[in-house]
Amino acid sequence: MKTNHLSTALLSLGLFLLAAACSKESADISNDPGQAGSITRFAVHNGFMYALNPNQVRTFSLENPDKPQLVHTLTTDYGLETIIIYDNTIFLGSRTALYILDIANPAAPSILSQTQRGEFLFGGCDPVVVKDNFAYSTIKIIENVCGRFASQSALMVYDVSNRNAPANVGVHFMSLPNGLGYKDNYLFVCDEGTDRLEVFDISDPMNTRTTSFSVAVADPVDLIVKGDKMIVSSKTEFRFFDISNIADIRPLGRISK
Amino acid sequence: MQFRSLSFWFLPAVLALWLFSGCDEDIEPFSGVGKRPVYIPLAQLSDIKSLPPRPIVLSGSIFLRDSFFFMLEQRQGIHVFNVADPGNPVAVAFWQIPAIGDFSMSGNRLFVDSWRDLVTIDISDIHNIRSIDRQTGLFDPLLYPPLFNGIFECVDESKGAVAGWEDAFLTEARCRTFN
Repeated sequence: MKTNHLSTALLSLGLFLLAAACSKESADISNDPGQAGSITRFAVHNGFMYALNPNQVRTFSLENPDKPQLVHTLTTDYGLETIIIYDNTIFLGSRTALYILDIANPAAPSILSQTQRGEFLFGGCDPVVVKDNFAYSTIKIIENVCGRFASQSALMVYDVSNRNAPANVGVHFMSLPNGLGYKDNYLFVCDEGTDRLEVFDISDPMNTRTTSFSVAVADPVDLIVKGDKMIVSSKTEFRFFDISNIADIRPLGRISK
Repeated sequence: MQFRSLSFWFLPAVLALWLFSGCDEDIEPFSGVGKRPVYIPLAQLSDIKSLPPRPIVLSGSIFLRDSFFFMLEQRQGIHVFNVADPGNPVAVAFWQIPAIGDFSMSGNRLFVDSWRDLVTIDISDIHNIRSIDRQTGLFDPLLYPPLFNGIFECVDESKGAVAGWEDAFLTEARCRTFN
């Protein structure tokens, strides 16, 4: 009988803790708008959602969040892969170009400009991040097309101070770059080829340079920087890093396969 | 300069890419190991629910919000982690969303593309999510395996929605990716 009471008490306590934990989770989730990685096809901004098809930007009004309403479709060339919104402007990464869209009318984005890449740069997976007047985008060149195309992937730097005429001001060849993000004057780039998180100094964007602060991460795909913490994802896991001191990036916890 | 030798191959490469982009049906039939689509009936797309955590097999987009971290599992759903303690992240749930492509969220609403549809999901209770709206025909799903470079069996849409890709020995496969 005693054990029975004890187990009932423990069960009640357990249920109480579970309920407390659940309600806490539900409460937490509604506060922060949240932050996506650099590789995403969806973006929510000021009551609208922008979603990419390979050759379309679909705009949905979230006035009734229970039933988003399609209000606009913008057609582009094929190859759209990523979207981010910075400083009330949409930046799209595609297989062929960096697009900059005006959302002064958020219900109807319009194309301000579209870069033409150098002929040697033509690839997939093109996430973009923007800081002040500069955009950073990685491009992963399709490998060995026809078995005879030895190519290079790269980090591209664009001066986007004139949204109507972005200018390519830097190219850093990399192995197989993926997602990217920054904190202050340091840009972090996942390089799946070298199994490292590369760190660039962008204090002078016109003269972006590599640093010796990179850290080993197996098959890094994308990342999110939040304050002094960074989450780096790979195909089968993710890991936190403490980036309060860039010269000494420290691994924290992880979830692995 | 490396550029010069590359530009020599530019035209054929671009031509090839244009033809082969994502899925090409003109390649020589290939037999060997590759990827095969896993189909589900369209009716099964609405089987959206919270499940216990499960291992990450092939990740996709990531999203950080308050003390929660969300990670797409390609074509399957979304992993939910509590990351209040970055030294010790904890798996909380797996949201099963068949044929999911990507997602975003606002308030207690999760928006996903599932096959050709935009689906709105109430996530106010992480452990009991509910689909509340589905609008069809808004998205063009990718008809090739993500994060994969090689030969695959071309998608036959009459067989249903693609809810994943499995390794398989293919005979006479006619599609391949370049990624």
